Amino acid sequence: MSKEKIKNSIKTGSDRDGYFGEYGGIAAGENLMANLEELKKAFEDAIKDKKFLDEFAYYCKHWIGRPSPIYFAERLTKKIGGAKIYFKQEHLNHTGSHKPTNTLFQVLLAKRMGKKKIICESGAGQHWSAAAATAAKFGIPILGVMGKIDCARVNQNLIKAKHYGGKLKVVEGSLREAITAAIKEWSNNPDYYYLIGSTCSSSPFVDIVRYAQSIIGKEMREQFMELEGKLPNEIVACAGAGSNFTGSIFEFLDEPEIKKVVVEAEETAALTNGTKGIQQGMVTKFLQSDDGSKSLGGSSLGAGIMYYGISPQLAHLNDIGAIEASTASDKELLETYKLVAQNEGIGISFEPAAAITEALKRAKGKAKDYIICATACGRVEKDLDVIEKLIGKDFE
Amino acid sequence: MIAYFVACYPNFEQSLEIIKKSIDAGVSICEIGFPTQEASGEGIVIKNAHDHCLERNITLKDTLKLARAVRDYNKDVGIILMGYMSNIFRYPIDNFVKDLAAADSDGCLIVDAPHELKEEQQLRNALNKENLSLIKLVAPTTTEVRLKKLSKLFSGWVYSLNFSGITGSKPVDLDEVKKMIKRIKNHTDLPICSGFGIKSPEDAKKIANAGCDGIIVGSSIVDFITKNLDDTKLPENIGKNIENFVKELR
Repeated sequence: MSKEKIKNSIKTGSDRDGYFGEYGGIAAGENLMANLEELKKAFEDAIKDKKFLDEFAYYCKHWIGRPSPIYFAERLTKKIGGAKIYFKQEHLNHTGSHKPTNTLFQVLLAKRMGKKKIICESGAGQHWSAAAATAAKFGIPILGVMGKIDCARVNQNLIKAKHYGGKLKVVEGSLREAITAAIKEWSNNPDYYYLIGSTCSSSPFVDIVRYAQSIIGKEMREQFMELEGKLPNEIVACAGAGSNFTGSIFEFLDEPEIKKVVVEAEETAALTNGTKGIQQGMVTKFLQSDDGSKSLGGSSLGAGIMYYGISPQLAHLNDIGAIEASTASDKELLETYKLVAQNEGIGISFEPAAAITEALKRAKGKAKDYIICATACGRVEKDLDVIEKLIGKDFE
Repeated sequence: MIAYFVACYPNFEQSLEIIKKSIDAGVSICEIGFPTQEASGEGIVIKNAHDHCLERNITLKDTLKLARAVRDYNKDVGIILMGYMSNIFRYPIDNFVKDLAAADSDGCLIVDAPHELKEEQQLRNALNKENLSLIKLVAPTTTEVRLKKLSKLFSGWVYSLNFSGITGSKPVDLDEVKKMIKRIKNHTDLPICSGFGIKSPEDAKKIANAGCDGIIVGSSIVDFITKNLDDTKLPENIGKNIENFVKELR
């Protein structure tokens, strides 16, 4: 199927103007336009360069430890009673999440472009620690920007990033404010490389991050064919802005028989509750005041899924019915964490707990040969203190 | 001289008084910024003023009311609304343009709307129909190829950025400014106004001598307001402040 040219394929990047349907585009200041044009050209050239792609593949394997395995969660499956539950084990990657695949790709791109310094933002600090590790590996100085709310709760990632040599700037707020502040830093220093962590902001960032992360779905295809002789019936993954989910499902976009379910934090579910707007460099769905002057949305335990917007590509795919959207609450995240830890001996972070919550709901009562794969995109270290404080006594 | 004000900062009445006194002092174009949370192009001074207004629920509608009041005070002064696409998109675009025309303003300037953005094209077409201007910005990083394309879209006047960065963040390099103005002049006969980093009347004089047709002062006016919020003579003092700039420009 993948070899045939598919009519009306939706497995594509953005159009000529950077849009996915009516979402996406470039809503950036004039002083960044030359950078975005330069980046687009560099990206398009790089992905035609076999040497560049070979280098990316080499470090994916030997530095990140890809491919990340798929894992049959047997005890959990028995406990729920229904479909076979699989995890795509992205938390086993170096630095403990799906993030280093993107940072590796973009740091190699920055190097290819001759950039001497990197700026990035981060929510849960998974991107920050991955970016700092990658920058250290290639000897490029890096400045990170994070919100105070997030810094207070993901200390492990901050310590790791510091040890890799990353310099961190802390701003008020969380991921939204971090993105704005990082873009401001970039405006002031347009000769730097801006290493975005997810499928958001102006074109071509959405395409770049999707390109790097779509390796997740490609691996899944091979791994499921080898282990099960067939593809999963459903793929479930969480989303803040959407790089983990997009990476998990992009490979299968032209196979509508495979259900693709995105799970957002209940408090910041832009796909489910958002309205169309233009902020953060893009046209997409946001939780915003009616007049577009303020962002809305509450706080989630999952720092990495606490984002008031969503990838413009996902907003489009949701509109045309190619994906389904759901949400998970803090209470569910904690319950699911506990279930996974106690039944599978795996410590997942809050973000993938959102995906697994949904996978468990969907698995119940389904046929035994029905397969649901949830992407486990982060390991628990960053959240251990919070979990211990909230439900530590449950484990005694 | 062009002066930038954050709409309704610190409130509607004082903001209107401040703008009136500024016009009396010789401001020829008022740039009225409508507050928004993200304000991704603004430095800390202007960003804080936006936040002050947002806390008081000031909207684009209030900004249009203020613009109307300014027009009622003075028939000749230029009035440009400045801000971000978010608010205009949600207004939505066509209604905004109608209300902008009803307020008898001259146009608007949108920081995060390059001509590649389809919604910018929609806004530009709507403004054109009402004979209003969409002021375009040129940055030092704007390439020649891009400048040529942009020059076909220029309307009213051209906003030349003195440096690449957010408002109020860097000192101005005079040679860079001269270069910028020369570059833009090669592509247009419209007036060119220089903005960003003009903090004092002395700066204003230097930049004016660099060949531009006007200068834009923003952060330093907003900063003056912030530092003198409790002063009952704030509008008069802003007026005096602006007179000092205007003197240097004559």
